[in-house]
Amino acid sequence: MCRYCVEYGGGTKWYLNPDNYRDELYTKGIHESTTRMLGGVMKNTFEVGAMSNVDLMAPDLYYSGNLSIALEQVTAHGGQIVPLEDALKIIDLCHGPFLLAHCACRRYFGRKDVIRCLYFWPTVETSLKERPWEKDSRVISKEEARKFERECDKKGFLHSIWHAGVDSDGIPPIVICHCTATDCIPTKFRLSYGVMNGQRKGEYVSVADPLKCQKGCKDYPVCMPRCQFGAMRYSPVDRLLYIDPQNCFGCGLCRSACPHGAIKLVDRLSFPSLVDNW
Amino acid sequence: MEYRHITPRPVITVDEAACGNAVLCLKCVKACLDAGPNCIGFINTTPPPVGENAPQRLEDIPHSIIFSGMVNCNGCGKCIDVCPKGALTLQMPEPQAPAARVQHADVVFCGTLRDGTKVFPRD
Repeated sequence: MCRYCVEYGGGTKWYLNPDNYRDELYTKGIHESTTRMLGGVMKNTFEVGAMSNVDLMAPDLYYSGNLSIALEQVTAHGGQIVPLEDALKIIDLCHGPFLLAHCACRRYFGRKDVIRCLYFWPTVETSLKERPWEKDSRVISKEEARKFERECDKKGFLHSIWHAGVDSDGIPPIVICHCTATDCIPTKFRLSYGVMNGQRKGEYVSVADPLKCQKGCKDYPVCMPRCQFGAMRYSPVDRLLYIDPQNCFGCGLCRSACPHGAIKLVDRLSFPSLVDNW
Repeated sequence: MEYRHITPRPVITVDEAACGNAVLCLKCVKACLDAGPNCIGFINTTPPPVGENAPQRLEDIPHSIIFSGMVNCNGCGKCIDVCPKGALTLQMPEPQAPAARVQHADVVFCGTLRDGTKVFPRD
């Protein structure tokens, strides 16, 4: 369990604690301002504006503490990678409807529009009302959201759960994004500046079964191109895949690609060296 | 917080008056994306109005160009070349001798604890 879970998990992971999905949380304190910005006319100012300040706030590439603090205390919006089964549990925990909206990291940085952000109910109505120019957003039901999650997992998009601020009353989750490490701005900041509070590693790490893996793909491992974080090495001599737990984010995309069931997700804390590696 | 080291990186500045409404052009954004670094984005200058006067198209909202994650910029200058208005200038960092860097204790595991205590990284 990460530190969020220790403080706000109530015995489970923070995003699986029903306590964090209380309706009134979204209308209180820092949660309220983040919810209002993401679900309103300020969305672009909030999301892309935070990105425009990164270079000012990180003069030294080896010091990302200011950015981490700003993300928690000012922006009050951060995320964590979740595997498919947890994403489905999250969808079960919140009541519908869901808003499927464009990905700001892609749209506002010149990429092709991809409708991949699944916002939860408190932002749906205000988003449709305050941002009429976003004609490609659509409201979907819980069943469609589950189908969408499975489709994303199949195509190779990471699932990440994003909260609306950490405060002593809880961490209300607000959106599931489906990104890749090449497009997702917080993930890029994580990888190039080391900003931990943008995109946290998931609660799991992948482990490959050597026997099944050796018997399986032989010369072309199908799981490797699915890894966004460079956590995989393949040895053509051993015909075996090595997963570096220090780099693994626990997204589970390699597992869903493996045709031989050789990869499984284990709890991050089963490796003592990963206890504080989020 | 005092910084002991500044990581050199290219700096691009935009002349916003010459650029105008960025969303109508976006040639530099596309050029940077095609070149690889993907450092150039665009943002609305002020939040658009809500209600009856709300804009119906993204193009109706004034946007300006932003630069983000400039450590990934490789200084290729394609954004400068492609700009039809000559609004961008690129400044490459001065060459620096490699310096020893201090790795700060900068990890924030959880900024606010359940009892309301704020936790900040140690310097």
